[in-house]
Amino acid sequence: MKLSRALVTAFLALSAMSLGAQQEQPQPPDKYVSVEEYEKLKAEHEAMKQELDALKKVVSQIANKTVPTVPAEPAPATTPSDGKQVVGTTSPPAEIDELREELAKVKETAQSTVPGTTKFLLTGFAFGGFEKRNGEPSTFSAGLTPILLWELSDKLFFEGELELGLNDTETEVELGYAQLTYLLNDYITVGVGKFLTPFGQFPERLHPAWINKLPDFPLAFDEDEGLVPFSQVGAKVGGVIPIGPTKLLYDLYASNGPRLNTDDSDRAGSLEFDNFTDIDNNKAVGGRIGFMPIPGLEVGYSIQGSRVKAPDTSGSDADVLLQGVDGSYNHDFEWLKGGIDLRVEWVWSRVSRLTYDPTGTLGFGPVTFSNRRNGGYVQLAYRPYKLKVPIIEKLEAVGRYDRIDAPSLAPGAFDEERWSLGLNYWLGQSTVIKAAYEFGHRDSSENGHENVDSFLLQAAMGF
Amino acid sequence: MNKIALKRLTKAGVAIFATSALLGIILQIPRATADDKSADAASTTTKTSSAAQPSEKIAKDGSQLWSENCARCHNMRSPSSYSDAEWEVVMHHMRVRARLTPEEHKAILEFLKSAN
Repeated sequence: MKLSRALVTAFLALSAMSLGAQQEQPQPPDKYVSVEEYEKLKAEHEAMKQELDALKKVVSQIANKTVPTVPAEPAPATTPSDGKQVVGTTSPPAEIDELREELAKVKETAQSTVPGTTKFLLTGFAFGGFEKRNGEPSTFSAGLTPILLWELSDKLFFEGELELGLNDTETEVELGYAQLTYLLNDYITVGVGKFLTPFGQFPERLHPAWINKLPDFPLAFDEDEGLVPFSQVGAKVGGVIPIGPTKLLYDLYASNGPRLNTDDSDRAGSLEFDNFTDIDNNKAVGGRIGFMPIPGLEVGYSIQGSRVKAPDTSGSDADVLLQGVDGSYNHDFEWLKGGIDLRVEWVWSRVSRLTYDPTGTLGFGPVTFSNRRNGGYVQLAYRPYKLKVPIIEKLEAVGRYDRIDAPSLAPGAFDEERWSLGLNYWLGQSTVIKAAYEFGHRDSSENGHENVDSFLLQAAMGF
Repeated sequence: MNKIALKRLTKAGVAIFATSALLGIILQIPRATADDKSADAASTTTKTSSAAQPSEKIAKDGSQLWSENCARCHNMRSPSSYSDAEWEVVMHHMRVRARLTPEEHKAILEFLKSAN
C-alpha cells in the first residue's frame, strides 16, 4: 500500500516536473530559423530561379525577333509541414527580391509584344531591270509594289497593292488592287473593291516580279495592250468546293466593264480596261471555273461578257465576249533531279462587227472588220534543285512561246510572235536574277514585218 | 557419305547460300527507294502509325499540303520567314488567293507555325 502510494506520488511529481520543464524551455534567439522554414525558403528560391531562366530565354527570343509564348509560371513550391512551432522568421534574402523585380520586368516586356486581335503585315515585291529592244534605246527600269495585308478577324480581310513605277520623267503611282473579302463559309468568299481579274491564272497569281519566271509579261496579258483586264472595280464571289480528292475552284464577278476605243487611229477597235468608272452604264459579268484532278495539275475556263458603247461607229453599242482556257502542271521528278513547271493560257476576244469612222472625219475610216483577237503563251521551266551541285541547283531554265493576233484591218493593230529563252538564278526562295533573250517578230499593215528581238535582265525580290 | 559427295554438297550449299543472299540484297533495293520517295514527298518524319505523336501526323500532312499548294504558283518560302502571327495573315491572304479549303488552310498554317 505504502509502496503503491509512493509510486503514484513519484509518477505525479515526475509528470509535473516534465511539464514545467517544457514551459520553462528558453526561446531560441531570432537569428535562427527552423529546418522547415529553411527548406521552404530554399524551395521558393529554386522555383524563382527556374522561372527567371525561362523568362530570360523568352527575352532573348524576343530580341531575335521571334514571338515566344509567355511561359507558364511554375507550380508553387511545396512547403514542409510545420509540425514544429515556428519560433521566429527572417525576411527573404535580398537576392530573391531582386529576382522578383527582374521577373516582373521580363513579364511586362513579353506581354507588350503579344499581338492584338487584328493583325497587319506589310509585304510586296520590288525589281530593277534593263532591257534592249530592237529598234528602241536601251533602258533601265525599277519598280516597288508594297502589299498591305490586314486581318481584321478570322473572316474579314483587307488586301491592297500599290504599284510605284517610272514612266519617262514621272513616277507613277497606281492602285493595283484594294479589296475587302469576307469568308461567308467554308466554300464561299465574297469580295468588293478593285480586284485582280480571275480570268486565267496570270493576272491573279503569276504577275509579281518574283513569281513571273521571265522579266516581262506574255503579250496577251500585257497590262496596257493585252486582251484581258488585269484588274477591275466591282464585286465578286468565289471559293473552292472539294470533291473527294479533287477540287473545284470557281469565281463570279460583276465589274464596271471595259471601254471600246473608237476614235484613236492607232487603237480603234481595241478594248480599254483602264476606266475605273462605268462610262456606258453597262456592267461586265464574268467568271472562271477551275478543276484540280490531281495535286499539281489545274485546268480552267474563263469567260467575260459586256456591252459597250460604240460612238463614232456604224452602231450605237457593241457586244464583247472574252473567253480563255488555262492549264498548269508542276511536279518534281526524281529522275530529273528537280521540278518542272508547265503553263499554258490562251484568250479569245470578240467584239461585234462595226464600221469605225464611217464618215471619215477622224482620218482613218471608214473601216469595217470582224474584231476578233486572240493570244496566249506556253511556258516551261525546269529547276534542278535536287542536283545538290553548288550554283547549278539554284539555276532555272525557262522557255516561253507567246503570241497575239489582231484583225489585219484594225487601225494600228499587229500580230506579234516571240520565242523567249531565259535563265534564272535564285539567290533565295523569293529573290531571283533573270536573264532572257526574246526572238520575236511583228507584222502590221503599217510597218510590215519587223524584228522585235530583245535582251532583258531583271533582279526581283519578294518580301 | 564419301568425301567427294560431301565436297559437292558443300559447294552446292555455298552456291545456294550466296544466290539467296544476292537475291535478298537485290530485292531490298526497290523497297528502300520507294521508302525514300515517300519520305521526300512528305517530310523527314516516318510514316504514321498508331504510335505516332499527333504533332508528327499534323507536320506530315501540313508539309505535304504546303508543297502541293504553294508550289502551284511560286517557290515555297521557308517557315522561318515569318513569325506565327505573320503567318496567320499570310495564310489568310493565300486562302483567298489560292482558293484553299479550310482543312488545307488549317493544316498548312499549323505546319508553318510548328516549323518556324
